[in-house]
Amino acid sequence: MNILAIETATPACAMALRTTEGAEVSLVVDDERHHTEALTPGIRDLLIQSGLTPKEIDRVVVDRGPGLYTGLRVGIATAIGFALGANADLVGVTSLELLAHGARASGVRGTLVSAVDGRRGEVFVQTFNLDRDVTAVSEPSVTLPLTVVDEWTESGDPVTFTGDGVARYETVFLGLSNGSIFDQRVPPPLAAARLGEFRPPEAQIVPLYLREADAVANFTTRERPS
Amino acid sequence: MTLVLGIETSCDETAAAVVDENFHVLSSVVESSIDQHRAFGGVVPELAGRAHVTTIGPVIRRALDDVGLNPSDPAIDALAVTSGPGLIGSLLVGLSTTKALALAWGVPFVGVNHLEGHLFAPLLESSGLEWPLMTLLVSGGHSLIVLQRGLGQHEVLGETIDDAAGEAYDKVARWLGLGYPGGPEIDRLAKDGSPAALKLPVSMIGDDFDLSFSGLKTAVVRATEAHREISLEDVAASFQSALSEQLLRKFRQALERYEVRGVALAGGVAANSALRSGVTQLASEFGLVCHLPTMAMCTDNAAMVAAAGLYRLSTGVPSQLNLSARPNWQLADVS
Ligand SMILES: [Zn+2]
Repeated sequence: MNILAIETATPACAMALRTTEGAEVSLVVDDERHHTEALTPGIRDLLIQSGLTPKEIDRVVVDRGPGLYTGLRVGIATAIGFALGANADLVGVTSLELLAHGARASGVRGTLVSAVDGRRGEVFVQTFNLDRDVTAVSEPSVTLPLTVVDEWTESGDPVTFTGDGVARYETVFLGLSNGSIFDQRVPPPLAAARLGEFRPPEAQIVPLYLREADAVANFTTRERPS
Repeated sequence: MTLVLGIETSCDETAAAVVDENFHVLSSVVESSIDQHRAFGGVVPELAGRAHVTTIGPVIRRALDDVGLNPSDPAIDALAVTSGPGLIGSLLVGLSTTKALALAWGVPFVGVNHLEGHLFAPLLESSGLEWPLMTLLVSGGHSLIVLQRGLGQHEVLGETIDDAAGEAYDKVARWLGLGYPGGPEIDRLAKDGSPAALKLPVSMIGDDFDLSFSGLKTAVVRATEAHREISLEDVAASFQSALSEQLLRKFRQALERYEVRGVALAGGVAANSALRSGVTQLASEFGLVCHLPTMAMCTDNAAMVAAAGLYRLSTGVPSQLNLSARPNWQLADVS
């Protein structure tokens, strides 16, 4: 199965391609929030690199969040367009599980908290156990960095933190004596390509926002430009 | 035959359409998230962005399906997408989907200015246009008087210096406690009211073509506070009359200054009955061909985007895959 993976939940724009034969290429454009400019040209380059035509892609795996709302929409809209045009399946994965897989692939074991920067002082988090495989032990949620740290101060158990949410609030996370940090800011797109192969295709990719739109909008409205 | 798939997501409408090289609309699908915005009295950008992501795939599928085209191997020769102006989070959904489709299909695409799209709307409903053409383009976000000397050759003669016409409708409707959007509701009430009930100023009687509506809104607020007994119908009729009076006076000035062969009305506020009858009267007075859009063509749609894209592709080069959205793209900057 030829798989294209799209990752736009953080300021970086990342993509990967895994071929039926298992050949893998990936590209991370760490260019603060230029998803729109970088994504499609990057996919084109990976296709050329792999010697594949767009129509030879069987499946598009996309990070559906949580993360930057605009980034997610660019990634998911691109996945929808590409899958439609190439007659490929669509599969959604989460940024938090990708970070967990990235950490485990680098040898991290035990309890891990993935934390994606949620802006407005908050982080999107989920806890995993990495001992035998990547197993989620909590649901994705949005919370304050200090709340996460307080929780682990109380438990006293060893824990590893990873994600751009940890990088952003590093001093807060460094304050925990039983915690350590695995530096990983971008959910790895190759993990998405590998993971997506074994997930059932979805008719519709639903972004994982974790916040209501009206809370986000703060009641600011625009007049209709129609 | 050349077929262009147009995609439009600049505000609350998710739209896709297939148009051929003779500007025949083969399919046109429009989904709006307006119902989700009503409670807020205006379009909530985050809500609009979320709705586009959910709707864009099905809307494109339907537009292709209506013409019997298979999404994975359609006989589409090019794509056109609104790349500005509009809400950034909304524009990006259409733009991203379009670029991915262009890559997957191996066809060119072009980013189109939404306002230029509106200017192409009359072309989709007439067998031909005669140039030069004077267009009054009025919507919730824009109010312009545009002189078109030929296809794609437009000169902005004047535009609003503050609120757009549709914005004025929405603000007055909100003040009167009416629903959102305000245009249709005020238009409906005005039919049973007297336009002379309130004395409202018709501002900007200068000899340029710029428009201004914020003073009118303030005047409505003052007048209704001073005359609490006045009926909603009368306020609506008086406001609507003053607003269309200003638009029509400016439009008349433009017609007196420039020799044209036709006039056109475009944009969401082109659905307004006072404006439609006023422009029709002006056209007959000046002996000009009059292009009034159907209701479907007043609202944002992708057929007009496809039409503008057809023209841009025939006269220029396609856009590159690294194209970004231009939320503040002025019509005057289109070339
Ligand atoms: Zn419009």
